[in-house]
Amino acid sequence: MITDYDMSAVFHALAHESRRQILDILKATPGIPVGELARHFDVSRIAVMNHLAVLEKAGLVVSEKDGRSRRLYLNAAPIQMIQDRWMSAYSSQFASRVTGLKYAAEAAARQKEDPK
Amino acid sequence: MTATSADAAALADRAIYEVFIDAPIRIVWDTLVKTDEALPFFFGAVCDTADGLKPGKPMRMITPDRKFASVVGEVLEFSPPHRYAHTMKFTQFEDAPCTVIYELSETEGGTRFRLITENVPAGTKTEKSMVPGGKFITENLKALVETGKPKFSGRMVMMLGPVMALFTPAQCRLEHWPLVPPTLEMPTPEEETPHG
Repeated sequence: MITDYDMSAVFHALAHESRRQILDILKATPGIPVGELARHFDVSRIAVMNHLAVLEKAGLVVSEKDGRSRRLYLNAAPIQMIQDRWMSAYSSQFASRVTGLKYAAEAAARQKEDPK
Repeated sequence: MTATSADAAALADRAIYEVFIDAPIRIVWDTLVKTDEALPFFFGAVCDTADGLKPGKPMRMITPDRKFASVVGEVLEFSPPHRYAHTMKFTQFEDAPCTVIYELSETEGGTRFRLITENVPAGTKTEKSMVPGGKFITENLKALVETGKPKFSGRMVMMLGPVMALFTPAQCRLEHWPLVPPTLEMPTPEEETPHG
């Protein structure tokens, strides 16, 4: 069971643009070393490490040691638990159809505005 | 430490799913490696082997009625109660096998459970099935061990099992995926007829 305390940590971690960007980077490049991740940001390495600590505490980021560096991975399980709490197997089907339509229509509208 | 491009490629399709389970490591392990019993966290399939889960030996996930195999693979590592790894191939897809590793470690008050997938062929049907599959297994195993009951999604696949069989392609039929591959008939060396 996920406790409310655990879930608060997940929402707290997600409530910051830089931390969401870190998750985007980890999703695109699983196993990225800490140093390489830090290079994506203008802020200090310490600031990135602090964000990572928050994400790891929430379980959204897991790491593996590789020699002297640490490789980072996005852990989708806590996000799944958020979904499990408010969505059933049925509602997720329909909700993803709604969001799928939203993305497709918005992409089509953008293309119309900016034909290339 | 610089990774070679081959390492980088391997890492790029490595995914980790982690949960903390409120149960002793032994119970998590025993739940994970049960054979001959329908596993709600593995889509209601039964883990079937010829002689137990042993490194180098084949394993397959089959329907409880023993009509279909969904996954076939070979056990790579079996180290109770910490690590179990096997190759896996979906019988309904033509894709090359990938690797699944389960890592368990004791933590304060419970068990850290990790499911790691490796070498999932990119852009294939296998990849499409593995991402939701990894989450499904991690979450349903957690619920089963902690509450004695799988989650709703796990209960649903158990219920739908017989229905799904109607839609299962014939190539998944169990007889196509034997645990012991039929050995080729080797012609017995015949005595050479002497020249003369």
